[in-house]
Amino acid sequence: MREYLKETLIELCCAYTIISVVGAITNIFYGSETNNANVIIMFIFCAIAVFVLSLHKLLIRFSPLVMIIIQFFVSLALCCGVVFAASFIEPVTPKGWFDFIRSFLIVYALGAGFYYFRVFSEAKKQDKLIRQIQENHKEE
Amino acid sequence: MKLNLYEDKNSTDERVDVYYSNMRPVIRQLIDTVNSDRPQLKGRPADEDLDDGEEIFLDPKQIYYLDHVERKLFAYTRNGVYRVMDTLASCEEMLWNYGFVRVSKSNLVNIYKITQLKPDLNMKVYASFDNGERICINRSYKKSFTEYLQRMRRLSE
Repeated sequence: MREYLKETLIELCCAYTIISVVGAITNIFYGSETNNANVIIMFIFCAIAVFVLSLHKLLIRFSPLVMIIIQFFVSLALCCGVVFAASFIEPVTPKGWFDFIRSFLIVYALGAGFYYFRVFSEAKKQDKLIRQIQENHKEE
Repeated sequence: MKLNLYEDKNSTDERVDVYYSNMRPVIRQLIDTVNSDRPQLKGRPADEDLDDGEEIFLDPKQIYYLDHVERKLFAYTRNGVYRVMDTLASCEEMLWNYGFVRVSKSNLVNIYKITQLKPDLNMKVYASFDNGERICINRSYKKSFTEYLQRMRRLSE
């Protein structure tokens, strides 16, 4: 449990740093600004995403694609819950909801695409290794 | 590998000298053979009654993969399926040098028999064999599987 918490915290720190830096660069590029509430919400989203993704071992019986879809809906539901709770403090407009879902979807789709690419490239590498081992074995 | 055989009718001390550059799996296999430790699994045809079936020795080279189902271990070869009276863990340890690696909780595959390793659209990676069968490489074993392949490649060079 301690190991799990340690690993999850490191992942959260890395994920939040990357998202903050990308967000800051985007803000500089488009000349926009963020506020304190957004920073807190962004951190909570990161924590939710890291927590849900860290539960992948519980979904080992499913294929990776099914796992990705399940994790997407679970994390989306949790993030929607956070936005809904935040809407009592500061109202969220319909456009705000649309922007939130769009932003969430884009990041998740990019992550899933990267994972998909990695699965295929790793399998290709493993296949190449097997071919090399078999060739060397034949020569012997 | 070069093989020299010397016949000496007067020799009372038969011996095998092995000159090697590094301890590759094939050298280990030679040592096992000389020491009479070469692993041979005993198996009975799976479709016969355990008490009636004739017990035969299975050469690891013939085995495509081992499958553990309902506390029973089966060895799959080109010609058939054999029930092996051993545990998967002991087979894993015994057949390490012979290209066998764990790819899931219940499967041990022979990497020399894999014809292709390919992921499906659902991202599950399958090892295909020339008998048409496929075994899923469980993603929790992916790291150890890759490490095994890298080690075997290094040792076979």
